[in-house]
Amino acid sequence: MLDIFDTMNISASGMTAQRFRLDVISNNIANAETTRGENGEPYRRKTVVFSEVLRDALGKSQYNSIEDLNGVEVSRVAEDMRPFKMVYDPSHPDADGEGYVKMPNVNVMREMVDLIGAQRAYEANVSSINATKAFANAALRIGRG
Amino acid sequence: MSDFFSSNFDTLPKALDASALSNTIIAQNLANVETPGYKRKEVDFENYLRKAMGDSDDLRMKTDNTKHISNYPNDISSVKPRVRTVEDTLITNDGNNVDIDREEALLAANTIRYQSLSRLMDMTISGYNTVLRGVT
Repeated sequence: MLDIFDTMNISASGMTAQRFRLDVISNNIANAETTRGENGEPYRRKTVVFSEVLRDALGKSQYNSIEDLNGVEVSRVAEDMRPFKMVYDPSHPDADGEGYVKMPNVNVMREMVDLIGAQRAYEANVSSINATKAFANAALRIGRG
Repeated sequence: MSDFFSSNFDTLPKALDASALSNTIIAQNLANVETPGYKRKEVDFENYLRKAMGDSDDLRMKTDNTKHISNYPNDISSVKPRVRTVEDTLITNDGNNVDIDREEALLAANTIRYQSLSRLMDMTISGYNTVLRGVT
């Protein structure tokens, strides 16, 4: 049986993961117009991939008992390999011979939707922590009359 | 004589434990709401306890040998909450089946259940106190 603090740790790992996702989304929005990155290419949209964490001595990632549950983690940050947007803007310094500029493959609307998803998931983890607190308080009141 | 309090001392801690376990499971589900391929887990306890208390409509398999498999628990102390993984539903196309709203609703319901169970436990103990001290 996991104790009450283990349960809070599970929710905390969820909050950390969603915060990280929020950082990545902010970075995508901030770089929505970045035409020149480190490698000379426009900015590529980044996404986070989560994976479930199971505490297992043998290193198997398989659910065996309730003691294995340990929340979530960010397993990697992946790059969106969809093609860049081509925008006609001959005055842009990064325009090619025909006047087209490669713009990042970031869709700001899409990022805003993701942002709301991350926010809602974060709030869900907060409400889970609050529920766990209510559990602890209820248990502490037993026998007080 | 079936006594007034002791049945509460058998069942209530079991139910409290199951409710706390359910809280952990919901926390895990909510933490993994965006994890590709994650399948939600749930606690199967109430049906099982109902069977142990003889309050279930499920058909009982006949056992006349200790080696026979029984689909009913023998007594309340042998009832353990079981965690099962729900594999047969789909919410998003990355294989995840956690519905955030449903989990939130389950969380709220489970919190109220735990609070009422602990209140009941508390009242059981005050019942003893009343018997021991007498009504003043």
